[in-house]
Amino acid sequence: MEIKNLTKKFGDFIAVDHMSLTIQEGEIFGLLGSNGAGKSTTINMISGLLKNNGGEIYILGKNIATHSKFAKMNIGIVPQDLAIYEDMTAYENVRFFAGLYGLRGTELRVRAEEALEFVGLSDKQKSYPKNFSGGMKRRLNIACAIAHRPKLIIMDEPTVGIDPQSRNYILNSVRKLNEMGCTIIYTSHYMEEVEELCTRIAIVDHGKVIAEGTKEQLTAIITDTKEIWVEVKTCEHIDEKSLKEIKGVNTVTIEENIIKIISQAEINNLNQIIQFFINHGLEIRSLQEQAPNLETVFLTLTGRNLRD
Amino acid sequence: MEIWIIFSKLSIILFLGISFVQSETSHLGWIIFAVLLYISLNFAMYLVLIEKWKRAIQMVTLLFIFICFWKLNPLFLMLFPMNFFELESFWFVKKWFVLPVSLLPMFLIPGHQADYLLSTLFCFLIYLMTSLYTEKFIQYEHKYDKMRIDLQKLTKNLNENKEYIRQSEYTSRLEERNRISQQIHDSIGHSMTGALIQMEAAKTLMALNQEKAAELLQNATHILKDGIEDIRITLKNMKPPTEQIGLQRLKLMIEEFSIQHQLRVPFVYKGNIDVITPIQWKIIYENITEALTNSLKYSGATEISIKIQVLNKLIRAQVKDNGKGISSGKMVKGLGIIGMEERTASVKGTIIVDGSNGFSVTTLLPITE
Repeated sequence: MEIKNLTKKFGDFIAVDHMSLTIQEGEIFGLLGSNGAGKSTTINMISGLLKNNGGEIYILGKNIATHSKFAKMNIGIVPQDLAIYEDMTAYENVRFFAGLYGLRGTELRVRAEEALEFVGLSDKQKSYPKNFSGGMKRRLNIACAIAHRPKLIIMDEPTVGIDPQSRNYILNSVRKLNEMGCTIIYTSHYMEEVEELCTRIAIVDHGKVIAEGTKEQLTAIITDTKEIWVEVKTCEHIDEKSLKEIKGVNTVTIEENIIKIISQAEINNLNQIIQFFINHGLEIRSLQEQAPNLETVFLTLTGRNLRD
Repeated sequence: MEIWIIFSKLSIILFLGISFVQSETSHLGWIIFAVLLYISLNFAMYLVLIEKWKRAIQMVTLLFIFICFWKLNPLFLMLFPMNFFELESFWFVKKWFVLPVSLLPMFLIPGHQADYLLSTLFCFLIYLMTSLYTEKFIQYEHKYDKMRIDLQKLTKNLNENKEYIRQSEYTSRLEERNRISQQIHDSIGHSMTGALIQMEAAKTLMALNQEKAAELLQNATHILKDGIEDIRITLKNMKPPTEQIGLQRLKLMIEEFSIQHQLRVPFVYKGNIDVITPIQWKIIYENITEALTNSLKYSGATEISIKIQVLNKLIRAQVKDNGKGISSGKMVKGLGIIGMEERTASVKGTIIVDGSNGFSVTTLLPITE
């Protein structure tokens, strides 16, 4: 999928400001940004719910403005606000949404059952969503979006307000969908989810992409070092020189009984460092690694927290 | 566009011709004459360029149609609607209003009412479409003209600016050359001459008074040493590090701003600012100036803080005030912010404007290697 100079204005307010993104097939692409950054607006434009004021959107190489039917058949959208009918059973809900994409007869029945099984609601297919927990409703919402087997699935904050168990279930099913060959666009303002799940991430703020790349590329914008603090019982016999010889270690400073090691972020040398302390008969009391995460990236770039 | 109206007229004439031949009217000669006259009147109208004349000919045509209708054959009335539409287009904007008027003569030709109705509607549609598209076409033409003129202006501006840049580069180079030659003359030239005189004297004294000659040579060595030191200092002064230029300039501006407007403007910088290139300094400087002016004008702030950070792959310059800010729904991009955006985009950077907690403008520039 490709977005070029996408713009959306609501009156004078510019919600999405010349946004350009390229998403490769098979990616789990994360859109990370605080509330009101323009994530949902972008998604609504991709799914055709909102008309853009400028720019173009291509899906599988086709402009959605001219191939709207093709685009709709290949997109499954899990909206932020639940889109299910409370007075229809779970099965009927999935059947209804899949039916909108033109599935009929046996195919419709099989696909609907598969989708329910996928989200783990097979045994609840005759129940009504009004009796469901928040997490189950979310899962049903996902089933409705995937029954027609779209190539691109867009999930807009699918884990808002649900229990940790359902959350894990949803995160796992996102991975499974991805393994099955779906490209996924995932928006969230939960940094941990995006960091854990997504192969590539765009940080969005005030309708603009301010940084884009893998988690490692994004953190590398801020710094290429990490700090490792090792607290030991006593540090009288520390051979700083040989500690520095460990690959990646830049500097070593000792403050009382804490040894602060600044090391290159992309090199994983924790094992060797621990080994060093064991070999020298030093007892480790605690160990902390302070590597930059996406939250730090966002904070450093925008000066604000993700969840303000 | 006129071609469609002409075609529709032609088709009506064809229709008339066929019905005249079929009905075997008596004075076919007169009728052919009338048709030819009608055609030539219409031609005349399209050929004339003056609006007034066009209208006059159009009225004559209408009159002529009525005479033919009166004296020759009632079917001539069918030519009336299209000419009528063309005439009214000089006065009326609302087209729908003229349709009932053009339908009125329907009652004058009993027996051919259906034909008349059909041809009128047909003419009306053609006419409506033609005028609609003509209007649009003219609009686009205007727009296109405007854009072309804008483009010309911009190109001219660009060329002028390029010329200006070239000129100022040349001027500053001349100034610099002047300064250097002055310096060489003042210090190095003098010491060289001094040393030379001493050495000449030593040469003459060599045979007579060796001790004195050695002293003179020692003097010359001293003078030359000082001269070399001078050259070193001059060269060093000539090549100031870029970060000094950028940073000093910025500090100076901030200080002046702070004093002039009685505001606190704390300024901090972090990281290795050596990596900021002159062009990046220029953009940072301009964006900070712009943001300071904005804050001063709109925020009612008492403090505006400026922070430049050099991160691993990014330079971040933030101007943030403690004023009233703007809620994000109300933010309207003015020329200033658009200017900053364009400037920053030219070096692949981004601007973040945020009004949620005071007002802040953040410039992000990638570090070029």
